[in-house]
Amino acid sequence: MAKKKELQYVHKTTFKHYMGRYWQFYAMMLLPLCYFILFKYVPMLGNILAFRHYKPLGGPYGDRWASAGKVWPAPLRYFEQFLLQPQFWSAFTNTLIISLENLIINFPFPIIFAILLNELRNLKVKKFVQTVSYVPRFVSTVVVISILSELLSPTTGMLNRVLDSLFSTGRPYYMNEPEYFRTLYIITEMWQFTGWTAIIYLAAITGINSDMFEAARIDGATRFQQIIYITIPTILPTIMVMFILNVGHLLSLGFEKVLLMQSATNMSVSDIIDTYVYRYTLGSSSPQYSLGTAIGLFNGVIGLILVSSANFLSRKLTGNSIY
Amino acid sequence: MSTLEKANNKRRIKEHNPILNFFTALVMIIVVVCCTVPFLYIIAMSFSSSVAITNNRVFLWPVDFNIEAYRSVYEYPNFFRAYGYTLLYTFGGTLISLIMMVLFAYPLSKEWLKGQKFAMRIVVFSMFFSGGMIPNFLLINSLHLVGTIWAILIPFAINQFNLIILINFFKSLPVEIEEAAVIDGLSYFGILVRIVLPMSGAAIATVGLYTAVFFWNNWFNALIYLKSSQYPVMMLLRNIVNGRTMVVDNGGIGEKSSLAIAIKSAVIIISSLPIIMLYPFLQKYFVKGMTVGAVKG
Repeated sequence: MAKKKELQYVHKTTFKHYMGRYWQFYAMMLLPLCYFILFKYVPMLGNILAFRHYKPLGGPYGDRWASAGKVWPAPLRYFEQFLLQPQFWSAFTNTLIISLENLIINFPFPIIFAILLNELRNLKVKKFVQTVSYVPRFVSTVVVISILSELLSPTTGMLNRVLDSLFSTGRPYYMNEPEYFRTLYIITEMWQFTGWTAIIYLAAITGINSDMFEAARIDGATRFQQIIYITIPTILPTIMVMFILNVGHLLSLGFEKVLLMQSATNMSVSDIIDTYVYRYTLGSSSPQYSLGTAIGLFNGVIGLILVSSANFLSRKLTGNSIY
Repeated sequence: MSTLEKANNKRRIKEHNPILNFFTALVMIIVVVCCTVPFLYIIAMSFSSSVAITNNRVFLWPVDFNIEAYRSVYEYPNFFRAYGYTLLYTFGGTLISLIMMVLFAYPLSKEWLKGQKFAMRIVVFSMFFSGGMIPNFLLINSLHLVGTIWAILIPFAINQFNLIILINFFKSLPVEIEEAAVIDGLSYFGILVRIVLPMSGAAIATVGLYTAVFFWNNWFNALIYLKSSQYPVMMLLRNIVNGRTMVVDNGGIGEKSSLAIAIKSAVIIISSLPIIMLYPFLQKYFVKGMTVGAVKG
């Protein structure tokens, strides 16, 4: 009887016992957890400002609930302020168009690049191409746009000269013309991230069991057939995860890059939700913080809905999901 | 080369596909050209004379080689101060960031630890939903960090993707060594510092590189949080590109840059070179880091 009790005591770890043993793990977590609460979760609560009136120098949560708007009831004043404004919807449409075009063009590119890279038999060449393809990932958006504007300068730009002599395009001011804005956004995005994103797919391809290719070769599959019937289906889970993550970010474009590329002449296509928020808040001499918060919240909720629906669809259709 | 490999190679030659080979070679050449030519052009511009530039004589090789542009940058009043701040933000930010992330990632890699799941949920949820630009700004403002270097160094210390890379790496380490250390009476802090960290060079290098690149390249946080006297070099470049040297914000890119194109090119080269020089040495690590992190993206 006594023996049994003793055993029980040893097996049943009390809270005090557990902490006595593992307190150090919790001590390690303490500082980072405080950081997470302060810098990631407090701003989430700060979203409440979307429904409140902001008083300058009065703290991040405003001083009172927002009054009723012209049409909408009490705390929704700031939502009314942008949701009923055509300028906001033009920014919303611009964001969606650039995002979708970017997704359609730039999503498959790294996959194709990774597959072709894997077809290279000369390992030195493969390594060289890979190394070179990462370079653009490591430069700042400012540098990207500076290089672009130098290359395309109507007076001295090399690319502008070359395009003119090849296709006699004249010497347009590409960086300022609205019709080139989306193309330039997507091309710079491709330039910066194709090689980088390909790493993930290449890792998935390298992980494929070589027996599968061996078996396919014995069955007489050509290299092209091996790509279609082995490589792509095997890396499909990776592709789906990347796709879900991309869809979740549809409304958050490369804001910093757009801000750098924006000019008075291309506003009709370059004004996106984030630059719209910026213009009315941090970039303004009389910032409307409640309005900016309301738009941010609207954006965040749509992002959350997008990522959950993409996740749901992917789980139904392919059985892959991120949670 | 073994006979088996020889046989395999022969088979590969047999299944030679000229169209696929041509296409592969073409794509590789395009990628290499696109990733190198812009930089070569900027280097060529930075070493060319302004006469050669305006006469459209510069392509990929400097014309009338001179270092006048670099001399002007050297004499530019705020350049060294800005460069110094960039170094401070990069080193300080990366150091703080690594300490915070290692301290968090190690306990989070212990799946049996009570509360680990909950802490992990806190991390993952914050990846998909966050306070927007304005709540973040107002928080940092109300903490009186705006206008101090801490506004750059502290609020961006933990990036959740980098944290997950570290967690996954720590999970992949063999448990036996740690168990032996526990039996030998080493504390968990001791295990982290003396056993886990020395085995984690690759992961630390990966995450450290990502973080350093973030701090080195960031300009937007400097724009909204710092005084112009604290601007890093990327802000300086941004102002040069925008055609306003050290004035406040608004507007877009004008060709009316007050500094000559050669000087702009020189600034681009000087401000990007350190990071571009650094990454090839860390390449074998970060490819591994990306792979480990992607397993549980």
